[in-house]
Amino acid sequence: MSKIELLAPAKDLQKAKIAIMYGADAVYVGGKFFSLRSRASNFTIDDLRELCAFKKNYGAKLYVTVNIVFHDDDYEGIREYLKILDDMGVDGIIISSLALLRIARKVAPGLECHISTQLSSLNSLAVQTLKEYGADRIVLAREASMDQIKKIAYSTSVPLEVFIHGGMCSNYSGRCVLSNRMTLRDANRGGCAHSCRWKYHLFEGDQIISNPNCLLSMSSKDLRASAYVEEMIRCGIASLKIEGRMKSEYYIGQVVKTYRKMIDEIGLYGHLTEERLAYYDEELSKAENRPSDDGFLSGDCDHSKHLYGINGAGVTHDYVAYVHRYDEARSLCMIEVKNIFKRGDKIEVFGPEVDNEQFTIDQMFDQNWNLVELANKPTQLLFLRIPFKVHQGDMFRKVSL
Amino acid sequence: MELLVTLRKRELLEKVLPFVDGIIVGKFFTSSYHCSLKEIVEINVICKANQKKIYIVLDDFISEDDIDALYKYLEFIRKLEPDGIYFHDLGIVTAAKKYGLSDKLIYDGKTVACNSLDTAFLLSKGIDSVVLSRELTLEEIVRILQNNPRQIDLQIFGHQRLSYSKRRFLTNYFNEINKEFDYLDKEDLFLVEEQRDYKLPIIENEEGTFIYSDYVFEMFNELPDLIPYLRRGIVDTLFIEDQTVIDLCCDLHRLTGENKSFLRDNLYQNHPDRYSSGFLYQRTNITKDE
Repeated sequence: MSKIELLAPAKDLQKAKIAIMYGADAVYVGGKFFSLRSRASNFTIDDLRELCAFKKNYGAKLYVTVNIVFHDDDYEGIREYLKILDDMGVDGIIISSLALLRIARKVAPGLECHISTQLSSLNSLAVQTLKEYGADRIVLAREASMDQIKKIAYSTSVPLEVFIHGGMCSNYSGRCVLSNRMTLRDANRGGCAHSCRWKYHLFEGDQIISNPNCLLSMSSKDLRASAYVEEMIRCGIASLKIEGRMKSEYYIGQVVKTYRKMIDEIGLYGHLTEERLAYYDEELSKAENRPSDDGFLSGDCDHSKHLYGINGAGVTHDYVAYVHRYDEARSLCMIEVKNIFKRGDKIEVFGPEVDNEQFTIDQMFDQNWNLVELANKPTQLLFLRIPFKVHQGDMFRKVSL
Repeated sequence: MELLVTLRKRELLEKVLPFVDGIIVGKFFTSSYHCSLKEIVEINVICKANQKKIYIVLDDFISEDDIDALYKYLEFIRKLEPDGIYFHDLGIVTAAKKYGLSDKLIYDGKTVACNSLDTAFLLSKGIDSVVLSRELTLEEIVRILQNNPRQIDLQIFGHQRLSYSKRRFLTNYFNEINKEFDYLDKEDLFLVEEQRDYKLPIIENEEGTFIYSDYVFEMFNELPDLIPYLRRGIVDTLFIEDQTVIDLCCDLHRLTGENKSFLRDNLYQNHPDRYSSGFLYQRTNITKDE
């Protein structure tokens, strides 16, 4: 089986480092300009430079999203920007503007050009067209089924990238300007208001025909393609992509680690048993903030794959702390508080080298060594003893009883 | 500028043909075009007999499973010897080569053809023309036209498509609320968001679900100045009443800088509707931080 890339999103430098530490082969991030997800705290040039140095130590790759649907004014400064990215060692850019294929070749020849899902490449003919236009990799549309993905993969030599996890547009990506109409925010230039997740009355002429207790929504469940990873590896997909440049470090850590282990297990044993798949699904559900399904991978998206009446369902496990340091000699750990927890709570620790080890919170101390019973100040640094070894970058989550 | 109109009913052909330079028809993958293949053949003969142009619209995304059917449809189109093919899926570029139709292709990306450089890129690859996205301002349109004169098409009238999904929003919704309803291809269904009063037409067909603008886009005041630079102007007749279509084509046929206000007033008075200049004077680049 071919070596497949696990590609993770990151909102900022810290999350990008976590993604790589937790096992991503590559991360994709947005710069301050030219990128969708305007609310993401996108990377400065200095951040990108630091990330370039960091990823090299792990042998990881870095792709920068330059994926807005450009209007004429938006191109200002793009040549200089691409050249800077190339010079600092960024591996590739994710684009939806075809003109950038030509511009990047000229000013930043070291950058691979990946065609964004914004262009909704849904068939092998579109892949061929984009190959001839100069694309180095193509992100397939999320509307393709697994069978169709296989057919496309077998028909082309162009590396393909497929989404395996995270939120999904309910419309074809890039083919929706509902947000523009409803809020004047350009859906394709980083301002999407997610109008598809709102609730709508349905009229026939002037007559309301929707159910007042369950209005129409176009909101889709999130994607979870864990059951298809093995097939994707077998058919030669180049990269498995996790969505979520707006997501938390907890989400990034948990989802990346789970898919990392899954991919490695498939690589080791050639397949995944149903039991193991169920285990990994359970792990993924710990970072779920919206119900999920397999989207179009199994074929059609019927009503069970839509959300009516709810938008997000919240995570099922509380992420409560991030490990900054561990003193092995004293079994003493310094953590940063993320969410409320208290003495007596049962905690599960997970990290790149720690697999869901549990312990019960005993004594905790603040930086002046005062005893703390209730950790309720986000960003506060606390010290506590842990009966097993943890590492910088590990995370604590509260176990529901 | 060629004046083109989308023909959704065979019986309107003779009524609009005197006023337009060409007809846009489609079937099969295309959304909301109701002509049968037989009717398209007939329309083609009539257009050619009247020295009018005929354009085929093929504006849906093609799944891998539909490629063989696409080839058959392209073979059908080839025999028509059309003047152009409006397409949406970049796969059509590769498929069209096989049928010698490459020089007929007109890219209508609906929402992703927003700048001069992408337009120039596609033209350099042999695409005949590009339809600009509907969410552009007049200033942006003028700039792109100046950069690519006589190589740009523009929707000049009609409801603007706001979204296109493979998901069957109506089917799924009626299943969710356990209601039986004959909704496929219905043109009098609307969405109204809880907090806003926009009445957005919604259509579901075999290809998915399409949502359109609540308003009818018109640009009588702006069009005369753009005509020298435009390759084609498209009147989209979806949701528009037949008599409005006929009168509109007649008025656009004789539109000049001098009579534009008069003709616009005529339209507003004789065929009242929710007309709007759409995004022509409305930038949509607000971000969430603003």
